[in-house]
Amino acid sequence: MREFITGNQAIVRGAVRAGCNFVAGYPITPASSILNEIVRAFADGSGTVVQTEDEIAAIGQCIGAAMTGAKVLTATSGPGISLYSENIGLAQMGETPIVIVDCQRMGPATGGATATGDGDVMFARHVTSGSYPIPVLAATDAMSAYRLTYEAFNIAERLRTPVILLSSKAIAMTRQTVDLESVELPAAITRQRATSNGTFQPYHVDHPSDVPDFAPIGGSQRVRFTGSIHGEDGVLTIDRKKIDAKLKHLNAKIVGNAASLELVEADLDDSAETLVISYGLADGAAREAVKQSREHGNLVSHLTIFSLWPVPEIALRAAITPSIRRVIVPELNLGLYVEEIRKQVPGVLIESIQRIDGGLIYPQRIVDAIEQIEINAARGEEQLR
Amino acid sequence: MTTLAVKRNDMAFCPGCSHGMVLEHLSSAFDRMGLAPTDVCIVSDIGCVGISDRYLDCHTFHGLHGRSITYAEGIKRAKPDTTVVVLIGDGGCGIGTAHLVHAARRGADINVVVCNNFNFGMTGGQHSATTPQCALTTTTPDGSTDYPFDICQTAAVSGASYVGRFTAFDADMPAHLEKAIRTRGFALIDVWELCVAYYTERNHLNRKTLTELADSMDMPLGEIRNNPKSRNMAASPTPRKNHPTPEDDKNGRISPPELLWPRRTEFCVAGSAGQRIRSAVGVVGDIAVAAGLFAAQQDDFPITVRRGHSVSNLILSDSPINYTGVDNAELLLVLTEDGVRRIQDWDQFSPEAIVFADADLELPPTSARIERVDRKAVEKSAGKASGALALLAFAIVKGKWMDPETFRNIAASGARGKYRDQNLEAIRFGIDLANTGS
Ligand code: SF4
Ligand SMILES: [Mg+2]
Repeated sequence: MREFITGNQAIVRGAVRAGCNFVAGYPITPASSILNEIVRAFADGSGTVVQTEDEIAAIGQCIGAAMTGAKVLTATSGPGISLYSENIGLAQMGETPIVIVDCQRMGPATGGATATGDGDVMFARHVTSGSYPIPVLAATDAMSAYRLTYEAFNIAERLRTPVILLSSKAIAMTRQTVDLESVELPAAITRQRATSNGTFQPYHVDHPSDVPDFAPIGGSQRVRFTGSIHGEDGVLTIDRKKIDAKLKHLNAKIVGNAASLELVEADLDDSAETLVISYGLADGAAREAVKQSREHGNLVSHLTIFSLWPVPEIALRAAITPSIRRVIVPELNLGLYVEEIRKQVPGVLIESIQRIDGGLIYPQRIVDAIEQIEINAARGEEQLR
Repeated sequence: MTTLAVKRNDMAFCPGCSHGMVLEHLSSAFDRMGLAPTDVCIVSDIGCVGISDRYLDCHTFHGLHGRSITYAEGIKRAKPDTTVVVLIGDGGCGIGTAHLVHAARRGADINVVVCNNFNFGMTGGQHSATTPQCALTTTTPDGSTDYPFDICQTAAVSGASYVGRFTAFDADMPAHLEKAIRTRGFALIDVWELCVAYYTERNHLNRKTLTELADSMDMPLGEIRNNPKSRNMAASPTPRKNHPTPEDDKNGRISPPELLWPRRTEFCVAGSAGQRIRSAVGVVGDIAVAAGLFAAQQDDFPITVRRGHSVSNLILSDSPINYTGVDNAELLLVLTEDGVRRIQDWDQFSPEAIVFADADLELPPTSARIERVDRKAVEKSAGKASGALALLAFAIVKGKWMDPETFRNIAASGARGKYRDQNLEAIRFGIDLANTGS
């Protein structure tokens, strides 16, 4: 059935579908309606929702609840993510599944509360001290916001990690046509429970990229949770071997499972010389531009990246089919992610298209780039302006 | 002492530090209450008292500085059967004051034990929120000048169920703790302690002068509030009426109506707050989607929603909409001066675009075709709340984006919600107006 809903409503529907049963949040434009909608969604008693005194308390309550086994979500915008920062580190260290939605606004600080942008793509990756990896997904529209919220819960549960889902004002507060039932979703994942035999070691793993089995706080097995560096018993340690093992594990369980985290949509043409790579807000314009450019007779490939971090290396390389000579990357920021793409595909001419004033990148700009690039490439030019 | 894993002397606290005593008191309280270690979760804050988790045999949660109350509340909400106790220092109460106040206001059913030794022990004896005036600390070498934070009064006036202030040497501490834990709602015990490493020597504080300090500071020891009838947070929500689920699609998969414009078209309605512009555009979007078309709606309004401009953009298309920006509106309905001012690119409209503007408005130069409407007359006949929708329906038909019959039919089958009849009436009014050619 088709519906006409906002990106924020789609996120709530995705969360409910994934079994989310605990939400704590603090109002902030353009994320506020997620909290409002959750109050309605949980009105039947299917979950607990609390509006806290600030963002720190919001994520704090989520982490506490998650460690009792709840499936938790919290949603905010850039200023709130800044306040979440320290607790995101806690969730990493304590291996807490939590879905964090960032409805991005324009610019730093208060920025443009009702203006849009994709400026948090690097911030999301390096959001907390230590820079240990954190999976980051980026919605492109209401439909993908629904699907990716669901996927975010699965990743959070499977890898016991915080997962950040990026949306932005122009997705959060725009109503779009969706058909949620038509979205094919994998089975919902719930974190692996520990067996009740023997003494429970809350952070025991056999291999660095494994994920420790979970026992809930308040259950029959005693659980230790700590944000301090710890051994497998969850007790603070100064043993270098244990420290090394724990921190390598925090890296390995994300990086070592990176292939399973790749979420992209590849619309490739084997003979294309131009590849458009897009994510987030710029994706809609990119789709439109690729469509129009093909109607003009150009051969163009298009790759949409939904999983920004870890960088989907396999999909990126696969999209650089032998004939690809140029890549166009439109972004609603200063050209932040294009540098990651550059690292992955050395030797390919890359053009960055940027817009930062709160407006969208027009499809025509990308069409022009696709078609200009043909001409300039013929002239052997290196870079386009 | 079933919850204590080690003896006091084997704990890493400085000899003479009061923290170990508090852990013993807590463990005794759990024993008195018959609580098994797995019935209890202790959430420890940061500071010397924060290392307590390793000495406890219950569930333990050790998080960030000043935030222990937030984790505790989350745990309690999600696991109401667990007894949740926060171990926090005076430093944690300073940095996390907001959490203390608001958890108390919410009636969070948690128990906060403040290990209050008037300074930051772990970081080397700096002054804290509770440092008494004139007290010497490493950061107040001439004596603290700040008024000390009264944790107990703060909790009490914020709605705590139980508040008490005792010294760590109080032999009845297990009983006080039991009372606090048994009281439903937010409970707080402020335990006055000795930090022998940094505070006691400089400030001549000992077991005896600790009691005198309470008198001199006018912060009496004892029970400060005991109101078992205080509010207790709802751990899980009381079921209310079921939240609205999408209505059944009675028509199943429908074939989209014949459009007079078989392509993407952008509409823009610009006016002032209070004209129900966003809802008018939303109604048309809903109807279009229900009829099998694709739609996207983007609104633009100031944060103070009841004032200033209100602009709503709608894209309708017979195929999926990739790009949701509205850059080339073909139909622009301008209702007020606010709307005129908000449209920034009057010179950008194509000659094929039609601007429907209220008769009274002065418009900037534009190459779009201009049609005048009498907004006030329409609002008068259709009702003020229905004016925008009536005029939008009028413009859609008048500009030949949809034929009247199709519009009428899809509106009748697609309009939903509380204001369905009112909206249908407005649409009918607009269509009739277009038909009569006024
Ligand atoms: S520094 Fe002070 S608070 Fe810390 S263990 Fe020593 S005496 Fe106790
Ligand atoms: Mg202290």
